[in-house]
Amino acid sequence: MKIKINCCIISIALLIPFFIFSQTTKAIENYFDNEVKEKAREFKEQVNFNKAQAFFLEKNYDSTLVYAMKQLSVTKNQELRDYCHYFRAISFKEKKLFEEAKKEFTKVSPNFKFYYNLKIGLGEIALEQGDFKQALSNFLEVEKQYSPKHYFRKSVLNHNIGVCYLHLQDFDKSEKYLFEGVKLLELEKDSKMLVASYMDIATLYYEQYKDAQAIPYFIKAYNLSKKTNSFQLKQNATLNMAVVEENRKNFPLALTYRKEYETWKDSLNDQNKVWALADLEKKFAVKQKQKEVNVLAAENRTKVAERNGFIASSALLLILFSTGVYFYRQKIKNNKIILAQKNELDELNATKDKLFSIVSHDLRSSVNALKTSNSKLIENLENKNFTELDVLLHNNSNIANGAYNLLDNLLNWALLQTKQAYFYQEQLHLASIVQHVEYNYKPLMLNKNITFNIAVDKSDYVFADMDSLKIIVRNLLDNAIKFSKENGTISIYTRPSSDDFCYLIVKDTGSGMNAATREQLLKNTVLLSKKKDDDAIGTGLGMQLCKSMIHKNGGQLDIESEENVGTEIIITLQKFKNNG
Amino acid sequence: MDNINVLIIEDTPVESEALVKVLTANNYNVVGVAENYTEALQLFYNNEIDIVVIDVFLDGRPEGITFAETINVVPNSVKPFVFLTSSKDRQIFERAKLTKPFSFLMKPFNELEILYALEMAVEKFYEQSNVFHSEDQNTVISNNSLFIKKNKALKKVLIDDIVYIEVEDRYCNIITETEKFVILISLTKIIQLLDSAKFCQTHRNYIVNSSKIEEIIVNDNLIILKGNHKVTLSDKYKDFVKNFRILR
Repeated sequence: MKIKINCCIISIALLIPFFIFSQTTKAIENYFDNEVKEKAREFKEQVNFNKAQAFFLEKNYDSTLVYAMKQLSVTKNQELRDYCHYFRAISFKEKKLFEEAKKEFTKVSPNFKFYYNLKIGLGEIALEQGDFKQALSNFLEVEKQYSPKHYFRKSVLNHNIGVCYLHLQDFDKSEKYLFEGVKLLELEKDSKMLVASYMDIATLYYEQYKDAQAIPYFIKAYNLSKKTNSFQLKQNATLNMAVVEENRKNFPLALTYRKEYETWKDSLNDQNKVWALADLEKKFAVKQKQKEVNVLAAENRTKVAERNGFIASSALLLILFSTGVYFYRQKIKNNKIILAQKNELDELNATKDKLFSIVSHDLRSSVNALKTSNSKLIENLENKNFTELDVLLHNNSNIANGAYNLLDNLLNWALLQTKQAYFYQEQLHLASIVQHVEYNYKPLMLNKNITFNIAVDKSDYVFADMDSLKIIVRNLLDNAIKFSKENGTISIYTRPSSDDFCYLIVKDTGSGMNAATREQLLKNTVLLSKKKDDDAIGTGLGMQLCKSMIHKNGGQLDIESEENVGTEIIITLQKFKNNG
Repeated sequence: MDNINVLIIEDTPVESEALVKVLTANNYNVVGVAENYTEALQLFYNNEIDIVVIDVFLDGRPEGITFAETINVVPNSVKPFVFLTSSKDRQIFERAKLTKPFSFLMKPFNELEILYALEMAVEKFYEQSNVFHSEDQNTVISNNSLFIKKNKALKKVLIDDIVYIEVEDRYCNIITETEKFVILISLTKIIQLLDSAKFCQTHRNYIVNSSKIEEIIVNDNLIILKGNHKVTLSDKYKDFVKNFRILR
């Protein structure tokens, strides 16, 4: 008998978790949910709180614990803190970590809106832990303060109080509370709770050996349990029936109940087995998945390797391509340069050919003139016509001079172009050099009756190559004489020099030139062709040579000219400096 | 005052004749015309030469340069020289340039150019540049002669012939035993260039060749030189007397 009662008590103990679950469900829960959601909206910006409450409502207690903790570490708001502690307490309770839950409950301030829930929670924990007195005191406190504003299930509370009294052997009070609970539960139509309650009531009577009162409740519980889907309940109810029938010595019935109990137990076991199987399957599936995952990972690895290979090869290709493009462009560029150079060379070659023809033409005519002049000379010598001889000889000498100058220029030009000539810049006394060159032209100028002025500053020393300076002055003077009319004036003088440069000017009162000719003369590598059939206008080689040599000596050439008034050729030469 | 002795090394008679003509016309003394290397060396060492005019090419070979190189080997007997050349060939010039001091004359040349080239050779050789064309000096002083530009040409005076020099403004009166002439050079420069062992300043305006001193009369502040030239000895320069061994 004693054993059976124990059995029942165990069943009661087993049922307790259901009560607690029940406490947090249905309409009352909805109210709480809404309230929490409201709060969440209120504290929208508190991300952690929002998450905590969301997880809490989803009954994802682990996440709730984490986010509630996070929120707690940031917020100072008492209300939020209360909520968070409450969340954590409930979460811990659900996770059966009762001591932690208790701690959290104590942290909730008394102002908390659902403070009464806290007491219920503590009570339920006490109940779970078998501390019925403590549980009872908590529940009674809640009951005392009960008001319609408190949203929790009175039925469950009553039931819990009843269970507490039952365990404390206070059967009268237990009966009262259990019945109150049943009344309310019947209204709420919570069949599971009802089964439990009926069984508890039955146990209550059974404990007092009021079998007549107990048995109907056992039957009631048994019948109702059939409608529920909880195997545990069915099993317990059936077991209770079996025990009851056993005690009534109605063994066949007891046996049937036992069998039924076994089947429920089996089915429960089956369910467990099914779960275990499912678990196994799951494990298997997980293994399978793991395999797949491994395969996929391997595939991924190969893919990554492939991708890397692809990237590398594409990069390589890109580099190859770009280098190819680079070299191609370089080639095009080179080709362009080569083409440009070719054109330039062609042009230069053409100029050279032209120069060649002009020079040879000039020389040919000079030599031809000498030839005819010489035959005349011979003729006159035979005739002893000495006056005519003198004229002819002078004429010849002039022609020879001209031809010589041309050849000289040609030679110097060639030497300059091929850079064969010796070029050595040194300190030169400008006045002396000008005088030396001028000395050769004295007869020529006398011949043309040209007035010659020389006013070169005797203190000017230039830094130049002597021979090229002479060539420059010679050509300028030659030109000046060539373009001067009879009785003209030629002046060579220096302008006041600057610190770095001397300015030497050759000025004539000759035919001058127009702006176009001037431009052409100053331009690079343009040879003047013969214009008008005027002998006086040469190849332009002299001027070209002058220009090149002036540049080579680090100087500059400028021309100022007016047609039929005269020309001024200004050359700038580097001054000699002792210290460098 | 003597003419400058010039040795011409030139294998083309036409050229050498023209040269001789120009030089003699300008009071240069042409010692000889050598037509080849050996002849040139012979003439050079057997005569007193002041300047050598060297044609680079003798018989188509640059023996002129060889000659210059040869005389350059004996530093004491080297004289100023001018290269004559008709080609501006760089290789030849590079070689010729090594025979320092280097001055050259391009053919064809006129009278002024040859005279200028000789002057340049002297200036460069004695390392006294910008003398003959400057307006405050016309004399280059070597260790044994003065080269003086007189009119267009150079003249020389042996330093040993000088008895004393009297400074007057920018000029110096050079008094030799036989003649007296004026050169254009500053006192500071001439003191600097003359051998101080031979010449001493006795007065602000007098420099005396000490070998020409006959008698020093300290009490009268007078120095009597060869040829009975009398020069003042000022107190400031009396110290120079200590240079002589005095018999007591």
